[in-house]
Amino acid sequence: MSEFDVIVVGAGPAGASAAIKLATSGSSVLLVERGDPPGSKNVSGGVLWGDSMGSVIPDWEKTAPMERYVEAKGVSFLTKDSKISIDFRSRKLQERRSGYTVLRTKLDQWLAKKAKDSGAMVAAGITVDKLAFKADQVIGVEQDGDVITSDVVILAEGANPRVAINSGIREKLVDRDVAIGVKEIIKLPEKTITERFNLTSPKMGFASEYVLGFLDGGVKAGGFIYTNKESISLGLVISMKEMRENNNTRSFDLIEQFKEHPYIAPLIEGGRVDEYSAHMVQEGGIKSVPQLYGNGYMIVGDGAGFSFSNGMVLQGMNYAIASGIAAAESAMKAKIKSNFSKGSLSSYEERLKSSFVLQDLMNFKGIEDVTWSDMIHRGIPNISEELFLSLFSENGQPKKHLYNNLIRSIGSSEVPRKDMIINMYRMLRRM
Amino acid sequence: MVLEIVVMIKQVPDSQEVVIDPVTFTLNRSAARNVINPADENAIEAALRIKDKVGAHITVITMGPPFAESALIDCMSRGVDDAVLVSDRAFAGADTYPTGLTLAACIKKLGKYDIIFAGEESTDSSTGHVGPGVAEFLGTDQASYTSESWYDNGFVYAKRELEDGTEVVKMKPPTLITVLTNANDPRRATLRMKIDATKKGIKTMTLADLGMPPEWVGLKGSPTVVKSMKAIDEKKREGKKFKLEEIPKLVDELIEKKIISI
Repeated sequence: MSEFDVIVVGAGPAGASAAIKLATSGSSVLLVERGDPPGSKNVSGGVLWGDSMGSVIPDWEKTAPMERYVEAKGVSFLTKDSKISIDFRSRKLQERRSGYTVLRTKLDQWLAKKAKDSGAMVAAGITVDKLAFKADQVIGVEQDGDVITSDVVILAEGANPRVAINSGIREKLVDRDVAIGVKEIIKLPEKTITERFNLTSPKMGFASEYVLGFLDGGVKAGGFIYTNKESISLGLVISMKEMRENNNTRSFDLIEQFKEHPYIAPLIEGGRVDEYSAHMVQEGGIKSVPQLYGNGYMIVGDGAGFSFSNGMVLQGMNYAIASGIAAAESAMKAKIKSNFSKGSLSSYEERLKSSFVLQDLMNFKGIEDVTWSDMIHRGIPNISEELFLSLFSENGQPKKHLYNNLIRSIGSSEVPRKDMIINMYRMLRRM
Repeated sequence: MVLEIVVMIKQVPDSQEVVIDPVTFTLNRSAARNVINPADENAIEAALRIKDKVGAHITVITMGPPFAESALIDCMSRGVDDAVLVSDRAFAGADTYPTGLTLAACIKKLGKYDIIFAGEESTDSSTGHVGPGVAEFLGTDQASYTSESWYDNGFVYAKRELEDGTEVVKMKPPTLITVLTNANDPRRATLRMKIDATKKGIKTMTLADLGMPPEWVGLKGSPTVVKSMKAIDEKKREGKKFKLEEIPKLVDELIEKKIISI
């Protein structure tokens, strides 16, 4: 007889959602978390998109510690001198759900408390060493020489899946799988943020992704700015491949370059850096998704490679929550059948395949080739800068047609025309 | 007869996260998470080392609000046997005098005690009063500024770090020992013990349980009166940014302002 029905390793959105779901349905759950309090080791951009949380905490929108509702979403290309943006704002985004900006130290503590209130035992400040096996069946977790037993273990350990790797159930991470995210939380008064970002109320927020086409040495990185109640989350994501190819570019140098850009600096002017952090980011798409289940275990959230980025949006927490819930449902079903074998837990992957979690990753297979392409990082920013300069400046010369301007701008780009065309096609197909 | 050890701990705001309120100039504790006072961690470890060697029953006590429970569970997850939270609204606003008195009352209630451990001082007030205060209220011997302690053949030994050297004192129990920060390397909680501790839970004592008159505790029982507080204005220093290629200009300016000379 196991000590717990389920042990969940990691109290981020994925693990906490699984624990809440299981505990509310009467399962005995142990939720183990390295950080104390939960959330203190966790980093995300972060915007929580969608309503995945609604299926574990129906009133979450009223009770969870959310920062601002995203009413304005931007996508921008930055060159050294220019900013070319889509700045989409719509009252209709309140009818059709967008997302909330969140601060993870607050959110994860709240989720862990919800798990505790639902009846789960929460053990914070403890690092699990590895899974415990009996023959080829996972029977619990090992920590400091002790084995704590459970029928099922749900691994929700985040972007650095140490336990899974130490237990031999997944490959080591390779450069392709991960990027590095660096982030600062910059304090500004609530009113200043609302005014500066042109928001309709202090409850409303702005979230934008940036293609940083101007960084020293042509390093490719994606930036983001999200507004919280009284702070701004500003950061960037850079792939390991880019880091290495540029002689281990220092990520903190890049964030400084981003902050000093002529059209970013005014947004954070007068702000005080309150926190800085860095974390691995899952970036590999479907290619980086490991075997998701086995005898007595399931892998959820970032640890399973569940994050989505197409350059326009960057999502992870909604995938984490949805996968946590799917794993909880499969664990409950396995308990009814008293069968915790790989075959029995395969229903977890079925659930993911019928939901957006795996469908998005499959449908957008190969998107990372586009998002890290020269076309996105140099071609489009330079061409559009050239194009808009010719459209919006007046030098007393006869005007040209838009088409001619466009052709001339493309011609002036340093990215070979052939690459541009191939990647343009890929982008249209994959994005 | 098993050795009875009591460890007194306190929760303090994590000193790395404390910020000063720019308006009131008081510490904004709410911004920082609460941790076990660093020296108290060493006191717990000192007690556990005696338990490891000669066997003991350890009780950890703290006076504080209900959220102090997690700190007590944390202590139990390292090998402490029992935990008592002394908590009552009446204790609010206590300075070091009624705090010592209250903790002493709690220790008396627990029954037999051989060694009492406390951290040398807390990071949030740094008075170092409470440990010695408790020893006085209980009428026990005490050894402060200790880096090491052990129990042998009915005696308690403590190594004191003093300005002019170290001193080893030999005491008959009951005795109180205050432990220096960084005196030892505190062990970490284990999952097995954390589960057991969470299941076992902590005990709570209120003012009524201690049977103390209300005027002895909390703000009423505190002789300290803060008449006023003054914050020293930080002088804004002039700053100027130079680019890498402007270093010669920077040097010139520094020479001109007589900050450096060649």
